[in-house]
Amino acid sequence: MTALLLLVLGFNAGLLGALMGLGGGIIVVPALTQLFHVPFRAAVAASLVTIVASSSAASAAYVGRDQVDLRVAVVLELATVTGALVGSSVAGYLPVVVLKLLFATLAFYVATTLWRRRHGASDVMQVGSYEVQRWGTGLGVSGLAGAVSGLLGVGGGAFKVPAMTLAMGLPFKVAAATSNFAIGVTAAVSAYLYYGRGDLDPLLAAPVVIGVFLGARVGTRALQKLPARRLQGGFALLLLFIGARMVWDALRSAA
Amino acid sequence: MNRAVSITLWIGTLAGVLLCAAAAAADAMGQPSARGLARLGVLALFATPPLRLAVVTAGFLRAKQRRLALASATVLVVLLATAVRAAL
Repeated sequence: MTALLLLVLGFNAGLLGALMGLGGGIIVVPALTQLFHVPFRAAVAASLVTIVASSSAASAAYVGRDQVDLRVAVVLELATVTGALVGSSVAGYLPVVVLKLLFATLAFYVATTLWRRRHGASDVMQVGSYEVQRWGTGLGVSGLAGAVSGLLGVGGGAFKVPAMTLAMGLPFKVAAATSNFAIGVTAAVSAYLYYGRGDLDPLLAAPVVIGVFLGARVGTRALQKLPARRLQGGFALLLLFIGARMVWDALRSAA
Repeated sequence: MNRAVSITLWIGTLAGVLLCAAAAAADAMGQPSARGLARLGVLALFATPPLRLAVVTAGFLRAKQRRLALASATVLVVLLATAVRAAL
């Protein structure tokens, strides 16, 4: 029964990852800690495996269909990895409460902007049918996303997708697919460290991985059919939820 | 390049998922091999990020896009260095 519930959890994370370019950690970590009473570090480790699995399963389909902008993915990943290394090294010196509130403020701003502009979202899905603009902004936001990822243990997709869509001019679906390709690499850096420390329980991760694979298969097909304005609107609502959860966490840890 | 990256991702993903499925089945039957199979499945998945970067780097080199190849290779080196650090 537990394995079946873990499979369902993985399915939702895989679906979310494939559709939105997010890792799904925002669902997996609280579900594992609160519903399955898994220790926090083990939950984060399982969540990181989930992100790698979701990224690999969805990207396999997206890259084959020429929907991942590999040029953008690689350049932004360079900034993200640098940011993650900086974030990890200064993590002990910065007050986490302040960081979470900053993260939430940024999430609310980005969510509002995405929601307001959702009707103008392009349904284009092929790489090369647009011109990439403002590389500097994209690099800056990706570096920030990496730093936040290293500091708070969350994926960078929540900032990368809006940066690619709003600043760099990528259509939402291409941005989601490109983010999907990149977050697997970012998550792998942390996943290796958690695995090396012995925090990962492979038997806990196994049913989640199966669910992620199935969810990602459904998600990659759904992305082709769903209109971009709906996906962008859904992403904005999800970002509001992530921001609200960050505020809740910050207030709870401050109390 | 896209085809090569896609094939690499499919191989890693399917190997990982099949091993995880075998582990879940073995666990349900109370087999002691379940943990080992699950560990192999996770390791197969962990191999996909460096492999995809290696294929992307080779693709950019073949296309003579040296700056992109350098960017990709740098991320690959960071990833491998982290993996080695975690293994030690």
